[in-house]
Amino acid sequence: MPLNIIVCIKQVIDPEIPASQFKIDPGTKRQVQGSHSLVISAYDQNALEVAIQLKEKQGGKVTAISVGAATAATALKSALSMGADEAILVDDPAIAASDQQGIAYVLAKATQKVGTFDLVLTGCVSGDWGDRAVPAFMAEELGIGCVSFVSRIEAKDGQVVLRRVVEDGYELIEAKTPVLASVISDDTNTPRYPKLKDIMAAGKKTIPTWKAADLVLDPDRVGSGAARVAITDVYLPLKESKCEMIKGDTPQEQAANLAARLRELKLI
Amino acid sequence: MRFELTQEQQLFREMVREFAAKEVAPRAKQVDEEGVFPHETIKKMGELGLMGVAIPPAYGGAGADTVCYAIAMEEIARACASTSTVMTVNNSLVGDLLYRFGSEAQKLRYLVPLAGGRTVACYALSEPGAGSDAAGQQTTVRKDGNVFVLNGTKNFITNALEADFAVVFATVDRGIRAKGVCALIVEKGTPGFTITKVEKKLGIRGSSCCQLLFEECRVPAENLVGEVGQGFKIAMATLDSGRIGVAAQAVGIAQGALDISLGYSMQRVAFEKPIASFQAIQWMIADIATRTEAARLMTYRAAWLKDRGGRYTREASMAKLLASETANFAATKALQIHGGYGYIYDFPAQRLFRDARITEIYEGTSEIQRVVIAQHLLS
Ligand SMILES: Cc1cc2nc3c(=O)[nH]c(=O)nc-3n(C[C@H](O)[C@H](O)[C@H](O)COP(=O)(O)OP(=O)(O)OC[C@H]3O[C@@H](n4cnc5c(N)ncnc54)[C@H](O)[C@@H]3O)c2cc1C
Repeated sequence: MPLNIIVCIKQVIDPEIPASQFKIDPGTKRQVQGSHSLVISAYDQNALEVAIQLKEKQGGKVTAISVGAATAATALKSALSMGADEAILVDDPAIAASDQQGIAYVLAKATQKVGTFDLVLTGCVSGDWGDRAVPAFMAEELGIGCVSFVSRIEAKDGQVVLRRVVEDGYELIEAKTPVLASVISDDTNTPRYPKLKDIMAAGKKTIPTWKAADLVLDPDRVGSGAARVAITDVYLPLKESKCEMIKGDTPQEQAANLAARLRELKLI
Repeated sequence: MRFELTQEQQLFREMVREFAAKEVAPRAKQVDEEGVFPHETIKKMGELGLMGVAIPPAYGGAGADTVCYAIAMEEIARACASTSTVMTVNNSLVGDLLYRFGSEAQKLRYLVPLAGGRTVACYALSEPGAGSDAAGQQTTVRKDGNVFVLNGTKNFITNALEADFAVVFATVDRGIRAKGVCALIVEKGTPGFTITKVEKKLGIRGSSCCQLLFEECRVPAENLVGEVGQGFKIAMATLDSGRIGVAAQAVGIAQGALDISLGYSMQRVAFEKPIASFQAIQWMIADIATRTEAARLMTYRAAWLKDRGGRYTREASMAKLLASETANFAATKALQIHGGYGYIYDFPAQRLFRDARITEIYEGTSEIQRVVIAQHLLS
């Protein structure tokens, strides 16, 4: 059964930078990009890998969608070079300051504009804000089911079987399509390195940019005016390090005192 | 004028950088210390298109340009110079040679698997008595019916131990020097072709470097690349583009030296301050960065000239000269910034210091680059 798969891609500032280089602009309450590169949010890459593997097995088509600034075209090119068939950028000042619900609404509208789809995949959490809110809101918007923390997907008898990772193992969930899944990493969905010839081929593909008007968006549901979530403050956690010497006459006594102190601090 | 990589080149750089950081760098210490050929990495690099970067897809390559090749060499060398040495021989010394001068049949038989990373090859020009003076070839070749018969010794041949085939240069007449040289493809296992010595060396220890012996070694006539007497021209034209690869390798080593210098100097404390706060250290870092950038720009320019189809011999020599001297400067300073730890095997500074040295020697010493550049200016 060929699958039409939509993968939602978010471009974020490289989260792997050292903590010491993480800076916040107090005015916008946003992270300062500085000289750090922009990358595809990590779990979105796992979602893309799951989609491409499914397409390779089942046939079908993978479309990557990103709501973001013009720079997100690079993330989409990288999705194309990994194996997505098409990529769409949704970029409009009217939607720029939307909250999670607003973004989910825009992504849902873009997904519907693409046409028929069997699966919508997102990362389970984004590499910057980490709210985990968009997948569920988006499924709600599309009126389809949502399975979160999925590491593997298989097509079976006209349905899909999703492996949902839970604390002590996993659940297997059978679902009728269309369905939305938020993807978590595991060793079967490590994102592939794009091959050089695929990078060259992706370079030649065009990425259409859709505006708010192309999606016939309800202006009351997007942008800062519609946002129900406001960020009041963002700050770096203060890390304090203290040193405490544990006393004791013998090593045994020191160890016992250490254990007692750790227990007191509820660390063990 | 635009000092910018294209979007594809940028994406490609990101891919190679990530690959190098995750797959190449973690093995660099072991590759160096144990002197092991990085078979697995080379195979993966082949699958990604890194063994035939600028070779068209019809011949098994990735169909990118020379600038992409320079980018890839730089990123791989930044992580592990040994691995980049294997890469440069396959890509430019043999791949580019076969692409530019090989017959259609030779390309299909030898270039396609090489550019796809399924085989390894070597380029055998130097001899015990003919290094800089490559026209003084002592290895002889004579035609005997439908075969060429080779006799002689080749020296310091990179990749020879693992190579599935070699491109070997030899002369039909020692007396006529460059005019008598031929280039021949010799497959591994051809009777009369043996590896007589594997050298122990200062740096790039993960790549092999061997002495080859040819004794009445019979090679089919169809393995002649180009015509009899064209070998020297082929060898030199190949070195022109090879020098772009070595320049990029040197830029990568210099960048690696900058990376470790930044990391170490910000974290090492002396006199209760990070050593990066001392002006003496800052100046070394500024000098490394500035020279590395200059070398990178010259390397890209030589690559860009090659892609445009113009002449680039002088620019490739200048890039190789500057970049290799920069790599040595950068590695020396990086070692100094590391103090005693720079001298110790647990830290990578000493490896970069040893690896950098070869870039001033192979594919034409720094002296020979100056000869080439001056000849161009004075002719
Ligand atoms: C690790 C390693 C890998 C190598 N890989 C390969 C390979 O894959 N294939 C291959 O064919 N070769 C290879 N070589 C050989 C390399 O290219 C030669 O060593 C190099 O060209 C120098 O030649 P030589 O060693 O004979 O030195 P010589 O030519 O004897 O030079 C000795 C010194 O004299 C200087 N000199 C020579 N002529 C002049 C001149 N006209 N003007 C000014 N100074 C001059 C040189 O610069 C040098 O300082 C490799 C060498 C090494 C060490």
